[in-house]
Amino acid sequence: MNKKFYKEIGAGVKLLCVNSEKFKTNCIHVDFYLPIGEFLAAQNVLSSLMGHTSKKYNSFKKFNAKVESLYGADFDSSIATVGEKVKMKFAIEVPDDRFSLDGESISESAVDFLVEILSNPNAENGAFDEENTAREIRFTLENLDAEKNDKRSYAISRLRQLMCQNEPYGIDREKLYNDVKNLDSKALFKAYENILKTATIVITACGTLKAEMLEEKFSAFAEKIQGREIASLDTIYVESADEIRYFTEKMDITQAKLVMGLRTGMKDADDNYFAYRVMTDVFGGGPYSRLFMNVREKLSLCYYCNSRLIRDKGIIFIQSGIENENYEKAKNEIFNQLEVMKKGEFTDEDFTSSITALCDAFKGVGDSPAAVCTFYGSQALDDCVIDGSEYAKLISQVTREQVTECAKKVTVDTVYLLTGEEKGNE
Amino acid sequence: MNNIKEIKNEMLGERYYEIDHKSGLKIFVYPKENYASTYAIFGTKYGSIDTCFKLEGENEFTEVPEGIAHFLEHKLFESEELDAFARYAKTGASANAYTSFDKTCYLFQCSDNLEDSLEILLDFVQNPYFTEKTVQKEQGIIGQEINMYQDEPGWRSHFELLRALYHKHPVRIDIAGTVESISHITADLLYECYETFYNPANMALAVAGNVTVEQVLNMADKMIKPKECKKIERKFQIEPAEVVADKVEHKLSVAMPIFAIGFKEDIKTPERTLKESLESTLLLDIIAGKTSDLYEELLSEGLINTTFDAEFFEGYGYSAHLFNGESNDYDKVRERITAELRRVMNEGIDRETFDRIKKKHYGSFIMNFNDVDSLANSLVGEYFNGDGLFDQLSVLESITVEDVENRLRSAINLENSAMSVILPN
Repeated sequence: MNKKFYKEIGAGVKLLCVNSEKFKTNCIHVDFYLPIGEFLAAQNVLSSLMGHTSKKYNSFKKFNAKVESLYGADFDSSIATVGEKVKMKFAIEVPDDRFSLDGESISESAVDFLVEILSNPNAENGAFDEENTAREIRFTLENLDAEKNDKRSYAISRLRQLMCQNEPYGIDREKLYNDVKNLDSKALFKAYENILKTATIVITACGTLKAEMLEEKFSAFAEKIQGREIASLDTIYVESADEIRYFTEKMDITQAKLVMGLRTGMKDADDNYFAYRVMTDVFGGGPYSRLFMNVREKLSLCYYCNSRLIRDKGIIFIQSGIENENYEKAKNEIFNQLEVMKKGEFTDEDFTSSITALCDAFKGVGDSPAAVCTFYGSQALDDCVIDGSEYAKLISQVTREQVTECAKKVTVDTVYLLTGEEKGNE
Repeated sequence: MNNIKEIKNEMLGERYYEIDHKSGLKIFVYPKENYASTYAIFGTKYGSIDTCFKLEGENEFTEVPEGIAHFLEHKLFESEELDAFARYAKTGASANAYTSFDKTCYLFQCSDNLEDSLEILLDFVQNPYFTEKTVQKEQGIIGQEINMYQDEPGWRSHFELLRALYHKHPVRIDIAGTVESISHITADLLYECYETFYNPANMALAVAGNVTVEQVLNMADKMIKPKECKKIERKFQIEPAEVVADKVEHKLSVAMPIFAIGFKEDIKTPERTLKESLESTLLLDIIAGKTSDLYEELLSEGLINTTFDAEFFEGYGYSAHLFNGESNDYDKVRERITAELRRVMNEGIDRETFDRIKKKHYGSFIMNFNDVDSLANSLVGEYFNGDGLFDQLSVLESITVEDVENRLRSAINLENSAMSVILPN
């Protein structure tokens, strides 16, 4: 039904376009992938700065007026880590050309806008605009500070730092904060040039827009970058933990957050991925999972308790919000359920429920343009492009035995508790 | 007989079906060609603000504990045999539910086994089963849900603001209630609320995606139990026009003060029209949106960051224009917002800005028609508000710059605002 166009249009520049008539919009994502490294602070600032101003649209107001003139486009620039890669994303979604009020091709204008802001940032003579730089550094620092406002993600962030302190994945937030603070407009520009030169660039689009138009415009963009030298994107997979490390930190909060980090035994992102995916889901995915059924429903200890697989790092995170005094009970029950997984004592029903739910979810992935771009974007990075139903098929081929084998390789690395008060005996 | 009406919009090239089911239930079916997934939602016009009510013919009003609508939502998933989640586990659908101020909705999304999942949805929502023991078990889980929100500064600042704006209206209470209030909930009270509000005449079903009218009607004919339809009377105490407090402060673990400012509208009728709501939305975008002078100035003076936003907040018996953000000098931000509102009241709105914002909202409206979840949710939401899904477009087209200026002058009283601040501890 959908036509897929996939091509490497330049060294380390990949273009994937999925054509579909069924949507009301066109969506384009441009992702820049680099290893976590010396430019991390600059990448954080640039992701904000380049999403707020450019040379042509040199104020917040002008920039957003342009976005609004594209029929209220959804524009978003963001930064995230994918394993030990940093992904800077610039995304735009606009109404399809058939809704244009004056014959303008909205999608082509949207692509031109993306190319414009990526090629011509708000800089001159090797430095970003001073006032702008100062403002964006302020936003970035406030944003890093605000991490503690959301206790759930703060707990995971602390866990990650403590668990992976000797791996790039365990980003030292304090160092990052200071690095951002010490940036200046020149260093920022140097980082910008470096990103263009060394990043693997993945462009994904979905809707009615033409692959040829995208190829032409983004090839021209890539050709202008001098001396492209693609940085390799490797991630350290620590296969197992020697012993469990425990950490407790205090904050003035009502509900304690109990989070855990597990090593899966995966050697890379493709090592038994589908079996690990199912295993994590049986363990703590949907409401049919072991953690939900036992920690929440049976013992009434929490509102949420779940696990999620970080494929690109070979880690599983477990998270839960609990009453402080229930720490031991909750921790023991989570350990207990992990043992159930390792011994293969989960029921056939647990297993089939998970397979059925995962397959169902993957089959529906093609029903939103943004989801299509995200789904294929991460695959295009690895030059392997399969659709949702093929994904579902691979999930459905996973066996109970494979799930148990995966669970056996899992080791608990770190247990982290964010608590409001003194905790009982440990 | 089921009465089926086709509702079309030529510009969008979209259509859906509105059905008056013989049981009294309103049903919407929105087939989306070439979609693999389907989203279904079964909702009742019953939310956290419905704390005092009676059925037609009854003498006394019943007053129930705060948070009971949400509690009921949790408990409906249970039955004497398999609970709803365990049943959905066999079909593969991803199911959930939510309670807001004015409605409770049960939903699922799926790619396969639509009919089986639809049967589960219609079955468990119509078959309550509560015992004192299961009620007790849920108090632990919901208690943790309430505590989770206590630590969320955005949520807290919003509700503390509502308490500073409203004296009597139940919008001032948390949707899930408090640990104390839910301790008074019993199985009998749950049954009483259920019998009052879970009546086909007070409910709606919407299904969007890979679905046909026939599929939904066959299932509805089989599953929907007719019930005697009685009119529900809700009792709201008279809400004074003035705010409760000018400013309230609370402390939490936050990096920087988080503020919420609200201008309370003195309303003469309980509900806003779709036109008034849209006028307010346009107005806030013009005054405080990302292309407004106010936004640019506050940003460059370091008074706000990009978390700043504004929203129109309304429902049965309440209406307010809200501004939220983070700032070390929140008093100054409040002053500047007030001054800007005053300036626009006096000077009016620039036409070019108005046209640009209107075009933006035209685009945003179109973009809502991709996702089956937003379609199904909007169908139910708009229906409970007395509107149709496509109405927004024609109303938006009809709005003039003068309408928005008039709305500003009539709905916002600069002397009647409140601010809530969450301070770092």
